[in-house]
Amino acid sequence: MVLKLYAGTIASGGSGIVALVLAEKQIPFELVLTDLATGEHKTPEFLAMHPFGQIPVIDDDGFVLYEGRAICRYLAEKYSDQGTPLYPKGLKERALVEQAISVESANFWPPVIQIAREVIGKPMRGLDKDQSIIDAGIVDLTAKLDVYEVILGKTKYLAGDEFTLADLIHLMAAHRLADGGVDIMSTYPGPNVHRFPTCVSSWWNDISTRPAWVKLRAEGIKGII
Amino acid sequence: MVLKLYARKFVSGGTAIVALVLAEKQIPFELIEIDLPTNQNKTPEHLVRHPFGQIPCIDDDGFVLYESRAICRYLCDKYPDQGTQGLYPTGLKERALVEQGASVELTDFIPYVLQVFRELYLKPSHGQQTDQAVVDQALAELYKKLDVYEVILGKTKYLAGDEFTLADLFHLLAAPRLADLGVDIWSERGPNVQRWWKDISTRPAWLKLRAEGVTETTTTN
Repeated sequence: MVLKLYAGTIASGGSGIVALVLAEKQIPFELVLTDLATGEHKTPEFLAMHPFGQIPVIDDDGFVLYEGRAICRYLAEKYSDQGTPLYPKGLKERALVEQAISVESANFWPPVIQIAREVIGKPMRGLDKDQSIIDAGIVDLTAKLDVYEVILGKTKYLAGDEFTLADLIHLMAAHRLADGGVDIMSTYPGPNVHRFPTCVSSWWNDISTRPAWVKLRAEGIKGII
Repeated sequence: MVLKLYARKFVSGGTAIVALVLAEKQIPFELIEIDLPTNQNKTPEHLVRHPFGQIPCIDDDGFVLYESRAICRYLCDKYPDQGTQGLYPTGLKERALVEQGASVELTDFIPYVLQVFRELYLKPSHGQQTDQAVVDQALAELYKKLDVYEVILGKTKYLAGDEFTLADLFHLLAAPRLADLGVDIWSERGPNVQRWWKDISTRPAWLKLRAEGVTETTTTN
C-alpha cells in the first residue's frame, strides 16, 4: 500500500522536510490532509497514531511513525538506493551527519524559532511583535552563524562536500524568517567584511534553491502516486 | 590508540550521556579534562576540535566528533556487539522508533527542562533574577507532555518498545540537573512515567557514574 503522509499543504516545519525527502527520493505517497484549524490532529483516531497530536505522521503500510526528523531518517534509510543520497551508511560519514543534525537542534533551531514566533506567529494571531526578543534572537543566531561560517569554510555542506539530511533539516523554519522581514540567512555578512558572499549565505542560497524545494514552496505538498 | 573524551568529571549534560554509553558498552577511554571556569573550552586548540567551544567531544584515533547525541549514536554503531545490547538497534523500523523517541526528547522534553534550568541556575549564576512565571509556565508545559509519556509508557516498557534504548538514555542529559537543584518533576506524575524514570535513573552504570564522576578506563572492566 502506498505511503500515507498526514500533514497540511504548506511546506514548512516537520511536514516541509518530510515532503522534501519524499520529493528528493521520488517516493510515492498519498497526502491525507489534516486540518489543524478544525482540530483534526486532536481526534481520538489521530491521537492513536500520534499521542502528542501533531503533524506530520506517516503510515507506511501499517508502520506508523511521527516526528519529522525521525521520519526523514527512516525514509532516507529505507530508500537509500533511489533519488538523492541523503544519509550515508559509512560509520564516520553517518556520524558527521548526526553531528550536524544535532547542531541544528541545539544551536540553530532555538534562535530561529524565537525570531519566527515573533515575526510570523504573533502577526498571524493578531498580536504585536516584541522587538527586543527579535533583536536578542538575531544576536544569538548571528553568533551561531559565525561558527557555521568556519565550518562551511572547510566543506561545501555541513557534513562534508555532499548535501545530506543535516543541511535539509535546516529548511524546517529558517526560510520563514525572510517571509517575516528578517532575511538574516541570505544577507549574513560574516565577521570578515572582506569575504562576501559569505560561506553561510552561499550555502543557504544553494539549499534554498534546490528544485524540489522551490517546487514545494510554490505548489505546496501534493501526493504523488 | 584509546578513545579520548574531552569533558569534565562532573556527570551532567552531554558529558553524562556519553559517559553512560561508554560505561554501558564497556568502551575504554582516556578522560582529558576541560575546565569550563577557566575557559579551556574556548582555547584555539579546543575550538579546532569543537568550533562551538563546548564539551563533550571525542577523538577516536584521529576521528573527532562532537554533539553528545551524535557521539552516543556513533559509539553504539561502532560497538554493536559488546556491552549492553539494543541501545541503537539496526533494524529499519526498530531504529526508526528509537529516532522517534529521541526526537520527542528533543522537542517535547528538554526545551522545558532547560528553560527551568536557565531560570533557576544559569541566570542567578550571572547575577540575573529568576522569572518565576517562566518557571511555572515551563513546568506546566512539561507536565502536559509527561501526561502523553504516561500513555506511551502504558503500552511499552520503554519509549521505543520493550527494551532500553538511546531514546530513554538521552533523558539523563538534562533531567538530573533539575533534581540537583531540588526541583522534583517526577513524584506527582503518573505511575507509568514514575516506573520508567525510576528504572532508567537507577541503572547500575548510571548510579556508579553519578557517585564517582567520569572515570577513565584504559582497560575494559
